[in-house]
Amino acid sequence: MGALGKPIILMVTMYLFLKFVLPNIPGSAPLPSSLIFLYLLLTASGIIIYETLSGESKDAFWGPMQRFLTGEKIGGLQALRYGVLILFPLLVGWQTYGSTATSDLPPTEGRTIHPAPPGEYTGLSNPVPKTPDNIMQGKGFYAAFCSPCHGGNFDGKGPAARGFNPPPANFADPTTIAMLQESYLFWRIKKGGVGLPIEGAPWRSAMPRWEVELPDEWIWKIIMGEYDGAHQSPRTWE
Amino acid sequence: MKPAGQMMKQVLRSGSAVIASLIISGASFTFAQESVAVRAALVTGGLPLDDPNAAAWSSVSPASFPMSPQVHWPNRIQEVTVKDVAVRALYDGKQVVFLLEYADPTQDPDDGAALEFMVGDKKAHFAHGQPMLQVEGGPVNIWFWKNKAGKAVDMSAKGFGTLKPQAHQDVNAKGAYSNGTWKVVFSRNLSTDHPEEDVQITPGQFISIAFAVWDGRKDAAGELVEKGSQKAVSSWWYFRADAPPDYSSYMYAAVAAALALGFQFVLIRKLKKGQ
Repeated sequence: MGALGKPIILMVTMYLFLKFVLPNIPGSAPLPSSLIFLYLLLTASGIIIYETLSGESKDAFWGPMQRFLTGEKIGGLQALRYGVLILFPLLVGWQTYGSTATSDLPPTEGRTIHPAPPGEYTGLSNPVPKTPDNIMQGKGFYAAFCSPCHGGNFDGKGPAARGFNPPPANFADPTTIAMLQESYLFWRIKKGGVGLPIEGAPWRSAMPRWEVELPDEWIWKIIMGEYDGAHQSPRTWE
Repeated sequence: MKPAGQMMKQVLRSGSAVIASLIISGASFTFAQESVAVRAALVTGGLPLDDPNAAAWSSVSPASFPMSPQVHWPNRIQEVTVKDVAVRALYDGKQVVFLLEYADPTQDPDDGAALEFMVGDKKAHFAHGQPMLQVEGGPVNIWFWKNKAGKAVDMSAKGFGTLKPQAHQDVNAKGAYSNGTWKVVFSRNLSTDHPEEDVQITPGQFISIAFAVWDGRKDAAGELVEKGSQKAVSSWWYFRADAPPDYSSYMYAAVAAALALGFQFVLIRKLKKGQ
């Protein structure tokens, strides 16, 4: 065991901690593998620096590795040594192939689902009083203008939805309108897909620019009907 | 035991590298799952340019794309006949040919279909390159075929009401109807003299493509149900003429492996001498 035993145990413990323990600590989340790799790399660097601080520990640390590489007095590990010596160049070759080969996949186009709205659309409050009549009127407008794509059940599965990519938003999903303020919806309905900033990939969106067809008051009523119908409430800062 | 430990560490490190790369490529897979692309294979010895039923098509696997009624701008339509299109493509050194196939219960003079491409580097909105408010968009090139015309019209658009036939007509098209299915071929040279209005096809490069179909049936009053903007549309997808095989990555890999092997050799020699 000696000088190599402890570093190996440390690396394995570190890996297990990052992979299985840390994500379970409240408020934490599973770490991406790239981050785990980075942490392990840092741990390994720390071990190497520590082990090579004095001449003695340096020999104890590097000695076994050198003996393994040169193949002197390692007995039964000779086969493993040849395995490593063959595997290493192959791994390097494979990595090089992976990084130079041209991809056969279409370009990936990242898309921010809820990009930031222009400043004038933040913090507006719905000027229409929240009365049963207005909600009902909003639901009527929703049925006429929105439901073909967003669905009569507010689930994004309207009869016209199937060909559109990205798909129409599902308002019953808690990560859509429940996360947003009414003023955000006002912006998205008014300006439509073409009003999105570049990170929202406006060229793909089928959402109409409703400001050219509907008065603002109708849009505010639609928002009210949408929240009520989807059983969600707008996000507020209080 | 000790070298085995060293080995273990190596495995651990490369293992996490592999996991990391899987995660990264996995992310693009999840996004690309819907992003099916039309791929044109390179053929030698003639393209089926004007024959929708040519035997050459049977060996090409189709890409299928869902269609929606056009609801993005007025005049809208709530329901359309065609729900999916199947698309195949082939190319040789000079020309490209697309085969669009879809179910339509009746053959009508006003049946029509179109391919749409982004032109140049700027993104164009899939609805005829409609202007975007925060992004400067580019034009689109539309290849339009109508049954009763029996030919293609090569068109350009950059926004609503700007669609018009080009001065230079470069596209050919031919349709064949049988058993409730339309098969329409569109063909054109890979490149043209008008890159500002025509899509230019470079093998290996992905190009944005979209589709539109009109069922030319008439309602009880004798009016066309699907016409103009009232049509079946698709979102943007990708088209690519497959690049000729490129073996340079294998060469780079071989060079890198040889260098690694040489490094090992020199290192071990030096270690042996040092002892």
